Amino acid sequence: MHLKLLEIKNLNKSFDKKAILKDVNMEISSGKIIGLLGKNGAGKTTLIKIINDLLTSDSGEVYVQGKPIGVETKKIISYLPERTYLNKNMKVSEVIQYFKDFYEDFDAEKAEKLLKDLGLDINAHLSKMSKGMQEKVQLVLVMSRKAELYILDEPLGGVDPATRDYILDTILSNFNENASVIISTHLISDIERILDEVIFIDKGKIVLQSDADKLRKKEKSSIDEIFRRMFKC
Amino acid sequence: MLVKLLKYDLKYMIKNMIVFYLLSFFFAITTRILFHIEQSVIVTILRNISIGFLISMAANILINTMMRSWIRFRDSLYKDESYLTHTLPVTKNDLYLSKFILTFLFFFLGFIVILLCLFLAFYSKENWMLISKFVKNITIGLNMSTIFFVTMFILVLFLEFFNAIQCGFYGIILGHRKNNGKIGYSVFYGFLFYLITQMMVLGLVFIYGLFDPSIMALFKTATVSIDANAFKTLSILASMFYLGIIFIMFELCKKALNKGVNVE
Repeated sequence: MHLKLLEIKNLNKSFDKKAILKDVNMEISSGKIIGLLGKNGAGKTTLIKIINDLLTSDSGEVYVQGKPIGVETKKIISYLPERTYLNKNMKVSEVIQYFKDFYEDFDAEKAEKLLKDLGLDINAHLSKMSKGMQEKVQLVLVMSRKAELYILDEPLGGVDPATRDYILDTILSNFNENASVIISTHLISDIERILDEVIFIDKGKIVLQSDADKLRKKEKSSIDEIFRRMFKC
Repeated sequence: MLVKLLKYDLKYMIKNMIVFYLLSFFFAITTRILFHIEQSVIVTILRNISIGFLISMAANILINTMMRSWIRFRDSLYKDESYLTHTLPVTKNDLYLSKFILTFLFFFLGFIVILLCLFLAFYSKENWMLISKFVKNITIGLNMSTIFFVTMFILVLFLEFFNAIQCGFYGIILGHRKNNGKIGYSVFYGFLFYLITQMMVLGLVFIYGLFDPSIMALFKTATVSIDANAFKTLSILASMFYLGIIFIMFELCKKALNKGVNVE
């Protein structure tokens, strides 16, 4: 039996009685790049945080390769959050060692090569690096894992257009081909070219899940235009 | 994985605490040197300043161990760093156990450093005799061995500090379940559980006192006088109750953490 890579059933989450996710249901299979698209505050990050065990849901179920969220699912998910999460007192080389210690699928040589390509010194202290540089280090660490599911939350936020292209190329050329990548963003035009599938989320609900090419053909316009039309204020 | 977690937790604590250990040793050595050079007004003033710093450093080691343990716990499990901590393929039990062992080790180390520094600064035959005499006077009065008295005194103190830290951990876990005022709630819950555990120890000693008149006498008289049997019983009881409460709090913390977190 072929297992779905990610399966979410009837997921609900609220903060202070305000519903953030409302009965979310979705399925994701292997080998795809999926855009999780929605306006600010639509519930993208909340959904991602629940998948990564950073938030508890009020109700509903989440399975990764048929397993509930836990140690086994964390072994196969490589997650890039929207913020810098590394201990600033560490050197880049120490962070590489940290990932090597905890993730069996982490390729330290690949990480060092990617860092070198980006002109980042592995002996540098994270506290001496700019926020942008730290984000690049995080992206390299996340993409240097041979994970089954990569979840990238706003990887392009606050990055200049030239670096955006580099980040997308890094994602495209470094993920395991049997794996899937979920990219959450509201900068749709930047990532449109690499998407296989799109999921539109609005006010905590999944309003559309479709193959990217089929959707473009059907609507005779780009994903970005469809999104703008759909969520026009 | 627990060993790996502990490795990084230890690195963090050593980086933060080493400066206080070194300063304590520095003032201990300075004090010793100032005791042994020719005495003058300036030397006496400098020696007293050095002693003052040494004592404040010793207190600092205990307070800092406590504060750093709480800060490490909060930063690692609930602040930005938690995005990495909770996505590591490790169990919540291991995450908690690592912090628990870390705190235990650093409290133990802190006690050793303080004792070593005091020994370095003040050891002399005369001082040793003076302390021995003082402790002996107490132990003769209580009709018990010096080793038993010192061991029980340090053990109860150690367990008491450790319980306070764990109450802080539980406070942080519960406080961070709130959507707002997480720090305020953490302090409130930590303090509340500390009070509850203290009341529990007192209550258990009181219940035991119902069957032991020498213990009940402590609750009925205003004067602080304690006989040998009562001291022995009290110190053993307090240690056992603290151990029991530490175990219960340990399980509560693990259970609360296993229910999941809500990271900002």
